[in-house]
Amino acid sequence: MIDPLPPRPDPGRQRWRHGRDRLATLLISAGGVGVVAAVLAIGVFLAVEVVPLFLESRHGIDWRGLWLPQSVEGHALPQHRWQPEPLAPGEPAHYGMAPLAWGTLKAACWALLFAVPLALGAAIHSALYMPRRLRARLKPTLELMEAMPGVVIGFVAGLVLAPYVERHLAGALALPVILPAGILLAGGLRTTLPARLRRRLAPGWAGIWLMPWLAALAALVLWGSPWLEEALFAGDLRGWLEATLGLDYAARNAMIVGIAMGFAVIPGIYALAEDALSGVPGSLGEGAQALGATRWQTLCRVVLPAASPGIFSAVMIGAGRAVGETMIVLMASGNTALMTLNPLEGLRSMSATIAIELPEAAAGGTHYRLLILAALALFAFTFLVNTLAELVRTRLRHRYRRLEGTA
Amino acid sequence: MSRMAGRVGRSEGPWPWLAAGSVALSLLLLLALLTLLAVRGLGHFWPAPLALVTLEDGQRLAGRAVHEESVPGGEARERLYFTGNRDLAGDIWTWVPVAEIASRAFPEELVVLERRRWGAFLGRLVALEGEAGRREGQAAWPALQARLAELEALRGERDRLREAVVTPLVRRLERGPDAAAEAELARANARIRELQADMAGDTLVLESVDGRRLTQPLEEVLRALRPNAMSPVDKLATWGREVWRFLSEGPRAANSAGGVWPAIFGTVLMVLLMSVVVTPFGVLAGIYLNEVAHQGRFTHLVRIAVRNLAGVPSIVYGVFGLGVFVYGIGGTLDEWFFAESLPSPTFGTGGLLWASLTLALLTLPVVIVATEEGLARVPDHQREGALALGATRVEMLTRVVLPMTAPAMLTGMILAVARAAGEVAPLMLVGVAKLAPQVPVDGDFPYLHLDRKFMHLGYHIYDLAFHGGDVQAAMPLVYATALLLVLVILVLNLTAIFLRHHLRARHGALPRH
Repeated sequence: MIDPLPPRPDPGRQRWRHGRDRLATLLISAGGVGVVAAVLAIGVFLAVEVVPLFLESRHGIDWRGLWLPQSVEGHALPQHRWQPEPLAPGEPAHYGMAPLAWGTLKAACWALLFAVPLALGAAIHSALYMPRRLRARLKPTLELMEAMPGVVIGFVAGLVLAPYVERHLAGALALPVILPAGILLAGGLRTTLPARLRRRLAPGWAGIWLMPWLAALAALVLWGSPWLEEALFAGDLRGWLEATLGLDYAARNAMIVGIAMGFAVIPGIYALAEDALSGVPGSLGEGAQALGATRWQTLCRVVLPAASPGIFSAVMIGAGRAVGETMIVLMASGNTALMTLNPLEGLRSMSATIAIELPEAAAGGTHYRLLILAALALFAFTFLVNTLAELVRTRLRHRYRRLEGTA
Repeated sequence: MSRMAGRVGRSEGPWPWLAAGSVALSLLLLLALLTLLAVRGLGHFWPAPLALVTLEDGQRLAGRAVHEESVPGGEARERLYFTGNRDLAGDIWTWVPVAEIASRAFPEELVVLERRRWGAFLGRLVALEGEAGRREGQAAWPALQARLAELEALRGERDRLREAVVTPLVRRLERGPDAAAEAELARANARIRELQADMAGDTLVLESVDGRRLTQPLEEVLRALRPNAMSPVDKLATWGREVWRFLSEGPRAANSAGGVWPAIFGTVLMVLLMSVVVTPFGVLAGIYLNEVAHQGRFTHLVRIAVRNLAGVPSIVYGVFGLGVFVYGIGGTLDEWFFAESLPSPTFGTGGLLWASLTLALLTLPVVIVATEEGLARVPDHQREGALALGATRVEMLTRVVLPMTAPAMLTGMILAVARAAGEVAPLMLVGVAKLAPQVPVDGDFPYLHLDRKFMHLGYHIYDLAFHGGDVQAAMPLVYATALLLVLVILVLNLTAIFLRHHLRARHGALPRH
């Protein structure tokens, strides 16, 4: 029904349409530039607020003083000390940022220690072994895990998990050994099963059918924790820890933070690592398998090296999230500004310090500006880490495309 | 990769099993968390049986078993009972060594009274004394039930009067003298006094199981239950009522009892305001970056930067909000428009507006990225087709491209809302309050009070769990609040996932090039 000779458009209307187009484009540009500028202004604001700290002499802050131990009354050796509000009037405040930075990194390290093996294992399993249908279900489930609010995880970690672990310490410390052993045992037992049952328990579905087995195992270990403690440590594990290893125990400690924050970063690392692994061109793996490699050998020698930049960027992004996470650390760590290697003691991270202290700090004061410095450090760290990860990922995508092209 | 899916050969060693185990473990952790929240959060409202415990030494107590644990350094176990009766016993918790329990019974006549002061009472009802005389024994319980229903109605009428009549009148009188309003106010106040008088007068005679008597004014009693005498259907009905109360009432007793209605309202309002701000700006920026801007190296860098801002810790946004919105813009607004009320700040302190703006900034990258992804998915030939038919760029965008991108934008908005609803850290800096029984919307001009502080579900959890007096008593409420928050966020995320899936399915059908 197309008219062979459409009516000539009215020139006035035409001009109006083009004017409208130009105006709208201008508006979109202005809005877009404005929004992008506002978002990027965060870094500028933080930097501008921090500069007076080092320029104005009234703050009495120098760069080295923030990070090196300072002399504290009553202690012979210089100490790292974060004590922004003096205990009594007249006493000096101590602004040592080192314990806060230490706490932040310690929490992040423990979180990664917990999350990276789990997330990478899950990514490898789902990229290599899982049937497609199951994988399509697993991804959104783990996305839901990522959406769990930090405050809920922090509450469960600080008020439920921490006291529970304190009461079942022996069992909890045994779990990292027993659970992997249990998984291997399940794998071994499966081979002895009759063929029909074995087919039912397919390796691709192992992520599902191992769940009840692991739950039962964990329950058993935690239930048997008192006996374990009795048998191995004469009923007093904490005394043993303190006497033999010199480790103090606090209920809310770095280990609890690591578990809770690990829970929060697993899905992020998983998603990116899985993308990297399943993005490796199929021809590579098929070639290796055709030459007689097993799937695991293919993974180690071919797929992992090809995907390693992507996995690296996944871990980086996980680290960025762990460093900046606030509510979990705030609620699960005890917030004691200590500088120890002991995983069973509390810590105080920069983000939690900002959340606790900034509302009370006088605007423009030394304390306020130092907290903004902490925020700037977090900003710079996460921004750099994420940019690095993003660049690596972009380059990786190009590489895959090239590999696919030549295959 | 799934083409390789099949059987794990025996030669592959232990590693594939460990990889599978990590999937199982991650899922198990998630499942454990959700189950814990669901069981504890919903279980709190179930009317649990009241045990009458007799100890070896003859002592008796009535209570609800909470949990049991072994005494450090021994085989003995102790059980914690919630025994209430703060006014009689001084403490509402009792630890009982399990070995010392001689007998346990669940007599039907045990009552739980929820009171405005002193918390719960657990014990026996002896008599109800009032204008209608004294009723004892079997007759007391039905009489109490009937009277409580009456009281509930009277209380409802009083509260409605206060809210709908008295408050507006007082506001009118504040603006200037008004004889008609004064007369009306006097009438309303008289009616309220009448209602108060109707409510007062009755007293309950109560007896705790260890034999101590107590007279309790009935108007202080909110609810009475006999959990041991209830049928499962009754219990279910009570459970439903309690859940509804939790959702619809304000907190009582320093947040450790009552409901979370103001927190729900505050969260929803803040998130709504935020999405009103973030959606247009995010979509605008997304369109600019993808459709208008010159696609050069600079735009590429800006795009990476915006993407990375999604990974910047939320607390940093909070610091920005406090420094720029609250102290910077808010302080200036106060100097210009609210100078008469200085030094007490109006906008120069945390409030609803600043919290929504901060969260809008926080979620802006989410919306931008989602919009851009949606735009990138629209095949170029659609654009070219529109342009070839003589459409201007804006016509092409509004008639062809944006309708196809709408689900992506919606997904972005939902994800932004889900993220914002769960964020607490920045709110602690820019305007959340421990207790703000006045919701920021009321009948008073300008109706929506952007400068007010507000309550938030997430912060409520933090505050209850870490700043409350009796954590043990607050725990069930924390669980329930956490469950509510998680449910809201899960529903939002599932919607987003569903939308995205639907979107992929739809665009998968389109020819690519």
